Amino acid sequence: MASLRTTSRLFAASRPMFRPAALARTYATVDASTVDPNASKQPAMKTFKIYRWNPDKPSEKPQMQSYDLDLNKTGPMMLDALIRIKNELDPTLTFRRSCREGICGSCAMNIDGVNTLACLCRIPTETTQESRIYPLPHTYVVKDLVPDLTHFYKQYKSIKPYLQNDTPTPDGLENRQSPEERRKLDGLYECILCACCSTSCPSYWWNSEEYLGPAILLQSYRWLADSRDEKTAERKQALDNSMSVYRCHTILNCTRTCPKGLNPGHAIAEVKKMLASH
Amino acid sequence: MFSQKVAQQSLRRLAVQQPYAMRWSMMGAASPAAVAIGKNVQTRQATSSTNTEDPTQILAKQRLNRPVSPHLSIYKPQITWIGSSLHRITGIALSGPLYLWATAYLASPLLGWHLESASIAAAFGALPVAAKILLKTVMALPFTYHCMNGVRHLIWDTGRALSNPSIIKTGWTVVGLAVSSALALALI
Amino acid sequence: MASIVRSSPLLRQSLATPRSSLLSKNVGVSQLVAFHASARKQILPPQPLNDPAPLPETHPSEGSYHWSFERLVCLGLVPVTIAPFAAGSFNPVMDAVLCSLIVAHSHVGFQASIIDYFPAARVPKTRTFLNWLLRAFTLTTAVGLYEFETNDVGLTEGLRRLWTA
Repeated sequence: MASLRTTSRLFAASRPMFRPAALARTYATVDASTVDPNASKQPAMKTFKIYRWNPDKPSEKPQMQSYDLDLNKTGPMMLDALIRIKNELDPTLTFRRSCREGICGSCAMNIDGVNTLACLCRIPTETTQESRIYPLPHTYVVKDLVPDLTHFYKQYKSIKPYLQNDTPTPDGLENRQSPEERRKLDGLYECILCACCSTSCPSYWWNSEEYLGPAILLQSYRWLADSRDEKTAERKQALDNSMSVYRCHTILNCTRTCPKGLNPGHAIAEVKKMLASH
Repeated sequence: MFSQKVAQQSLRRLAVQQPYAMRWSMMGAASPAAVAIGKNVQTRQATSSTNTEDPTQILAKQRLNRPVSPHLSIYKPQITWIGSSLHRITGIALSGPLYLWATAYLASPLLGWHLESASIAAAFGALPVAAKILLKTVMALPFTYHCMNGVRHLIWDTGRALSNPSIIKTGWTVVGLAVSSALALALI
Repeated sequence: MASIVRSSPLLRQSLATPRSSLLSKNVGVSQLVAFHASARKQILPPQPLNDPAPLPETHPSEGSYHWSFERLVCLGLVPVTIAPFAAGSFNPVMDAVLCSLIVAHSHVGFQASIIDYFPAARVPKTRTFLNWLLRAFTLTTAVGLYEFETNDVGLTEGLRRLWTA
């Protein structure tokens, strides 16, 4: 009931607004009085510069817009700041988010120059330095921080990301794997397809039409490495051209940026080794 | 808490019985801050229409207007991609002049240029010492960097040393070794 | 109704900042800075939305064979690059090996740059022109180096003389 107090103290009479509690509920805002009594005395104002572009005004150029937030009253993560800006400063700010715990991959964006998930990225407590938030680099912007990932998903579909196995198992039950075979999929199955790595890759910036990019190649390797899959030869053949894999020049921005701590660069190296060994 | 519950219940009832009224009331007061700000009230042109246009065409039309988000200019300079772009730049800086010189050497009898080793060495020898060292550094640095980073690439291609810490460590090692060996070569 | 007014903490906070007033409640929203975006290009052709992206045709000589060949060239370059530093300079045979490896390596490197920066879908004519220009230059370079090896002192010896001049 904290906000009731603040409301009645300052704006109870002047703001005859109505908003259902279910809609207004948010974790992005921290009530300073419950956290640290000293913190609320000195507001730690930090500036967030956010990329804005409105599709309803297509003739206007994209621009950077500044928002100031008191960090003492904001949750610890970048997503908290964004939600708070949207709730309290500017409801037109548009971004994707869902799980707020790094499992859905919706809030992938470029924060302070590095692609990451806003929900896993702590707000730097240095208030003198502004934070800059952009959409994922070299993507088509649908609105503000929302990139168009249609082609990314179409590329994912093109590598047939499902088990291809026509042989029935002897006992008619599931396809079994040894623990060693299963271990090969560790570090691959965790990928959430947030597109952070692909959109951090300069090669993918220049050739995203045909080059598959780190995320999709990691997924390719996930199916190439699967002991139960029977179409390994076909999968290899499909990748064996100048564009799909070999536009990777081992720049390794992908490994550097993966918010899940996976290693797409290593997966691509393994794909290249598999393709080279006929 | 009680008042909150009552309000929620009444809202639910309203939503069930009169969905339009519910929507209207929420629209009117959905975002207090926006109302206070005034100019930030969200407007949206009609996006859905009754005509049956090919949805792929709608997307294609939308795409024509979409800007490309910034990339090179905003991405944080990291040893990964800066080092990689240097690899390509140094490669072109080595091969480009070689291509130009070899082609010119081939054409020199026709053009009357003197590009044989003796005359080039003589011209280079006539330069002051500082200019010699500077030119040698400029020539040696791309060579040392490209060679050492090339070895790093060969190690990567075997699937080794691809973890984040070793990428950073080997990257800076290559930079350090390349600069120091280039200076050593220049001072020979 | 605890949270009728969600904006109240903000407004309270905005009162604390010096440049705001009760009249301009738009305190956090400020400073629109024009932003330079990349040129708009229609890269993606409109395809049916749910179809997979088309994969290029299988072409091992541009794919895995090409990659393995390039790795072998690089591996070969490592010893012949280091050896002259120990020996001073090379005999003509080793010089020829070095030159041919360098030409092959350079050609592949330039080729990769052309593929990266001049996509066939966007600039097909430039791409074709550059590819032929590269082939011509590689040929003249190879012949030029051959002339230099046969008529002059050879690459490593030439560089040694230049360096010690």
